[in-house]
Amino acid sequence: MTEFNPTILAFCCNWCSYAGADLAGVSRLQMPPNVHVVRVMCSASVKPEYIFKSLVQGIDGVLVLGCHIGDCHYLTGNHRTAKRVPIAQKLLDDVGVDSRRVKLDWVSAAEGEKFQQVITEFVDEIKGLGPNPMRGVRL
Amino acid sequence: MNELGKKLARIAFDERGADYLLAMREEHGNVAPSMIRKGEDAGDVRVDLPYQLVNILSNIYPWVPKGRIAVVCRRCDEKALNEIIKRNLMDRDRLILIGLACTREQVALCRCSDPVPSKVDIGEANAPVREDPLMVKLDSMSQQDRLKFWTSEFRKCNKCFGCTLNCPVCFCDDCVLEEHTFTPELGIPPSFAFHLVRSMHMSDKCIECGECERSCAGGIPLLTLRKMANRDMKRMFGYEAGDKEKVSPLLTTLEGKLLEDGEHVC
Ligand code: SF4
Ligand code: SF4
Ligand code: FES
Repeated sequence: MTEFNPTILAFCCNWCSYAGADLAGVSRLQMPPNVHVVRVMCSASVKPEYIFKSLVQGIDGVLVLGCHIGDCHYLTGNHRTAKRVPIAQKLLDDVGVDSRRVKLDWVSAAEGEKFQQVITEFVDEIKGLGPNPMRGVRL
Repeated sequence: MNELGKKLARIAFDERGADYLLAMREEHGNVAPSMIRKGEDAGDVRVDLPYQLVNILSNIYPWVPKGRIAVVCRRCDEKALNEIIKRNLMDRDRLILIGLACTREQVALCRCSDPVPSKVDIGEANAPVREDPLMVKLDSMSQQDRLKFWTSEFRKCNKCFGCTLNCPVCFCDDCVLEEHTFTPELGIPPSFAFHLVRSMHMSDKCIECGECERSCAGGIPLLTLRKMANRDMKRMFGYEAGDKEKVSPLLTTLEGKLLEDGEHVC
């Protein structure tokens, strides 16, 4: 049996997390190759709609990364994210999709190592959960 | 004019100074919402059909620039109006609520946990129903079975948009569900995302009137899904939609201050 290789999306805000990802890259930190980084202006640009759509289309896990609370370039953008994502997770649980497939975390521009750690752990967690059950769902 | 018509006209026009009365009225054997002017014969008013008068009110409100409107409101209608007024879509001073207490049968149909209006003018207060049997069943299921259940339910959706059109608190001008990114133009049923997106958008507004479930052409138990989400909101934020003053947690910062951009009605 071949090992399950999850496909993961990581939405990273332009001002902190994307810079953090960049730093992880230029520091040549080892990272799993399963993660596709999507650069967005702010974590609040990641409407829950996009999280749902990703999962419905078969993405195995969605990471939303933003600036730490208090550091958002748009001041309160990440406050919005901090409220929306937990709701989206609950709604997924309600219909039988494991909410651990969605994760919210804060990564600053200086935290290349944290970026590495967050995505490594997330990839491991998703590997443990197995393929997204919605991938096979045909409505 | 039937007895109910007389009673409602008296409450609305004589006692509370309304200029209009919005109620369900029977004419030639058909029952439909009617806007009754002061002085006009109220006719044969009916309150025995569950009907979403708030939606009708939302539609005509911009066309009635002056005067006070009395409207027959169940507890859920009253809560829907609270959500609408909080978002400045209507002016509380222009509305007069005539409280209608739902019958025991209706309360059972809606599995309603909050059936008594703040002031009962018509009908008798009935006890709330504490549990939704389907929700209890779904709670006890495994995750896989729950996904299977909702998948087979959502498969019945024919994208009629009845659930959004008839919802009293679905009031954005540009509906995200009409974006082809989330609801492809072609193809029935729409994807699973349709229902999740709707769920997200109703999460801080749904007042459990059950209109979506009643409207659903596919017979999907949408009210149960809403009740599950509302329970989540209550557990996470202590928030229950329909409150007169409390602002949605989605419109405030983590400290509870109002978010700055007013454009986010929804
Ligand atoms: S029960 Fe359905 S129609 Fe009624 S407020 Fe909630 S989402 Fe809207
Ligand atoms: S009312 Fe039912 S069938 Fe119509 S769009 Fe909503 S869920 Fe689908
Ligand atoms: S800019 Fe980074 S979270 Fe808003």
